This record gives sequence, C-alpha cells and structure tokens, in this order.
Amino acid sequence: MSAEDTVKVDAIVVGGGPGGLAAALTMAQGGLEVILVERGEYAGSKNVGGLFYGTILNQLIPDAFKQAPIERTVSKRSITYLGDGTHMSLTFGADAWSQPPYNNTYVVHRAQFDRWLASQVEEAGATLLEGMVVDGLIYEGEGAGRKAVGVQLRGDEAFYADVIVLADGANCLVSEKVREELAMPGGKIKQEYAVGVKEIISLPKETIEARFNLKDNEGVAYDFLGVPFEGLIGGGFIYTAKDSIHLGSVARIESLVESGFTPSGLNDRFKQHPAVSRLIDGGELLEYSGHMLPEGGYDAIGSLTANGVMIVGDAAGLLNMSLYKEGTNHAMESGMYAGQAAVAAKEKKDYSRSGLALYEEKLAEGIALKDVKKYKDLPDILTSAPELLSLYPKKINQLMVDYFTVNAEPKAVTQKAAMKNFMKDMSKIKLLRNAFKARKLM
Amino acid sequence: MGKILELTVEDKLYTTKYETDSRSHIKVNGDLCRTCSSKPCLRFCSGDVYKINPSEPDQVTVNYENCLECGTCRHGCPFNAIDWQYPDGAMGVKYRYG
Repeated sequence: MSAEDTVKVDAIVVGGGPGGLAAALTMAQGGLEVILVERGEYAGSKNVGGLFYGTILNQLIPDAFKQAPIERTVSKRSITYLGDGTHMSLTFGADAWSQPPYNNTYVVHRAQFDRWLASQVEEAGATLLEGMVVDGLIYEGEGAGRKAVGVQLRGDEAFYADVIVLADGANCLVSEKVREELAMPGGKIKQEYAVGVKEIISLPKETIEARFNLKDNEGVAYDFLGVPFEGLIGGGFIYTAKDSIHLGSVARIESLVESGFTPSGLNDRFKQHPAVSRLIDGGELLEYSGHMLPEGGYDAIGSLTANGVMIVGDAAGLLNMSLYKEGTNHAMESGMYAGQAAVAAKEKKDYSRSGLALYEEKLAEGIALKDVKKYKDLPDILTSAPELLSLYPKKINQLMVDYFTVNAEPKAVTQKAAMKNFMKDMSKIKLLRNAFKARKLM
Repeated sequence: MGKILELTVEDKLYTTKYETDSRSHIKVNGDLCRTCSSKPCLRFCSGDVYKINPSEPDQVTVNYENCLECGTCRHGCPFNAIDWQYPDGAMGVKYRYG
C-alpha cells in the first residue's frame, strides 16, 4: 500500500460506550481528527446499563438532559432488605429531584442512549466506524521507547494515529493485550469481576406510575439485598423506564460459582420475592441481557498511560461499586480527561507516556478516582464481613416485624420477645468490629 | 402471578436479538475440560452457552449463538480452558434496550 492510501489521523478511540464517546467528543471539539471504532452494529448495541449519572454529560453537552433519550428522571430511591416472607425499606427523595437537572440522575436504555451520544460525537466532527473489530494495536520501536502507532482492524487494513484511547469496556480484550505488550504496570491486586443480568419488563406507563407513585417523568432507582442474594456478594435493582422496568441482579463471579446459582436463576429468585413480584405482575419480557462489572476497586487500577495509549472507563476499572453504582459517569469523566490530554499532547507534539501524563494528573484531581479510592476497602469488607449484607439487615427486619406484631400479648411482652430474638446469634464483639467496618461502606 | 415469573433462561434468551455468525467465537480446550469435575461454566454463564455434552459427559458443548458477550467465562473458568474472542464486526448480541 502506498503512503497516500494509509489512513492516519490524530486519534483513534476503541469502543463506543460513554468513555470512548466522551474522549472522541472532547478531542473533536479540541480540533483533532478522530476515528472511533465500535465493534457492534451501532454504538450501544453491546452495552447494558440503566441508572445514569449525568454530571459530565451535562458538562460536555450543555443541557444534554433536555435532548438525550432519557426514559425517566430519578425522583425517589430506596434500599430494601428482602427477608423470608418479610421486607424492610428505606425510601427517600427530594422535591428538587423532580426539578431540572433532576439531580443529574436518570434512567436510560443504554442501547438507545449511547447511540444518541454517538450521533452527537459525529456531529462534533469525529468519524464513527461501526461494525469493525479492533484485534490489537500496531507498534514501533523496542523496549521503553516502544509506542503504539495504530490499530489492526479484523479482516481489514490497519489505521494509524498519534494517540489511541482504549475504551473497550469491562470485557476489555484489547486493553488486556496492550497492557502486556507495552508492559504497563498493573494494580496492587488483580481485577475482580461481577456478572449482572437484567430483564426489561414492559408495563403500561400508567401502571408503572400508579405502582411506584410517580408523576409525569419521575422515576425510581431501588436497590435490594437480602435472602435472594444470601451468601453472595451482590444484590438486585429495579429502575423504572417510561413504559418498562429494568430488573436485574449482580453478583461477584466467585461467590456466584460457590452458591451454585446461575445468573438467570439468581434473577428469578429476586424477581419471585413477594415484595418484588407484585411490582412487575402482568409485565412482559422485552429483553434479557448480561454484562460484567469490574469490582476490584482502586487497588485493581493499574497504570493507564503508555506511549501513544490511554485507557479509560470500565477498561481502566473506574467503577464505584458502592450504593452509588457509578460507572458511566466515571467513564465519561476519564474519557474527557484523556481527550484533553490528547489535545494538549498535539500542541506539544509529544504523545509519549510523559507527553500524555496530563491524563492521569487530571484523573487524580478529578472526582471519579477520588470516589473509587474512598471505597477502596469495600471489596475486602464485603468478603470479610458478610454479616453486613445478610445477618444484620435480617435481624433488624425481624425486629421491626416482631415489634409490630399485633396479638393478644401486652406490648411489653411482645417487645421483650422481639429484643431477645434480635440478640440471638449476635456476637457483640463482632457487631462492634463490623460497625467500624461499615462506616467505610457509606 | 403471571408468566413473567416463570420464564426459563431459554424463554428469556428468545427475547434477545442476535446477528448469528456461521462460526463460533468461543473455543474450549476439551483436554482441560476432561480434568475439570466441577464445571462452573455450566453455572456462571449469563447466556446458558455451556452445556454438558450428552454423548461425552466430561465435555461441554458451546452454544455460542446464545452468548451475551459479558466475558464472565474468561474469568470464571478455573483452567482457562475457554478461548473467547470478540465476534466479527456487527455480529453477535445486538441489544435494542441494553
């Protein structure tokens, strides 16, 4: 091939999820010539999500929430413990959450949302190359000077660029390979993964609004733990879309294997709990999906920059798996910083690891990495103190049910029995120790 | 309670859209499977891809056309016996909602 036929641009982004799209948008806005390669037929076709935090989105595209395909805005959240025939919830909300920008918390169908975001990125001047698989990178040089100079498209030619942003998500075959090939230092621990499955269940809009007590475009984000997830590091969720409900379960892979449940079977247990089943009664399944989540946290994050390469989003391990469950917004933040670093690198004409150092500097000053760091002990805590997700909420739920059991006994007798039942099997020392650990969960 | 609670994983997968490729993007190393008695792949897969081979019970069959491309098998197989690659461009699972 002659030199004129070779495709060479400023930047290539691998992956059309929120991280890659934010990077491509930032670079296109910064005047770079950008190609984004997505292996799915369209951006979003391989992606699964639901709860979407939009602070970075609304920063990159002013008032994006007014035009993005948002299903509902989250006005109410809850945490529910599901017991054996019992349940206990803490539900909360604020009037302000029903006012723009709706607490930056939205329910989206990611296959549709990501596709919309990709169209915005295209409008900003980036070229989308959909339905193409990147099998790996192309390099020049040896040793510490080895640098990435292009991407190899499967069954096709290679495209060349000064900088490559890897945004290949949780199941990141390209990033894994590049880490090895460029000897990028890994994190303190190996990345750990959870698997999630989700059912999108259709119900009439009015039914959803009546069942969840919602007005107009208000929606809920409900989290669940308890008996269906006993022995697992995991939980369930329900998010309301316009005329459908996202209902899913997530569990750490090793804990799932030990439990003997399949991901689909686990979601059935959750779905069939009486406190849950009534919320979806009469619904019809529209789509079943599965996806992986990197849950190793801060300690699993390795170096994210190499000569000609930056890694963003889930591929970088930037997921906050606490109750916030923030992944997409972090992906967008990291993508934005990577984009800014690429723009600065072009000005200096230095795309080496040190030329791209701005990416990790910005990441360190930003919100995503600070949040992931705040919860760095979470994977450990959940493993070492399983009581926090099972025994304690179960005990509190039982206490509430016992306390409010109305029968022929005087209240004093009922309450005494309730307290006695509560303290049974509870080690006070362990309780104290776990209470100390639990602070880090919040 | 209605039908939504009684769906099998096959019923569920029927709602998922795919562009099915003629060749598999997943290969298992049967020699390693033979040594594996616990076969966690029968359980951890979100798409019910791995099933016992009825004619060779120490082997698994790969229903790659069900694959949701989550990648769990790449981390869950204790023997690294599963070689999983991205399907070709635009092939495989195609979420409409996601």
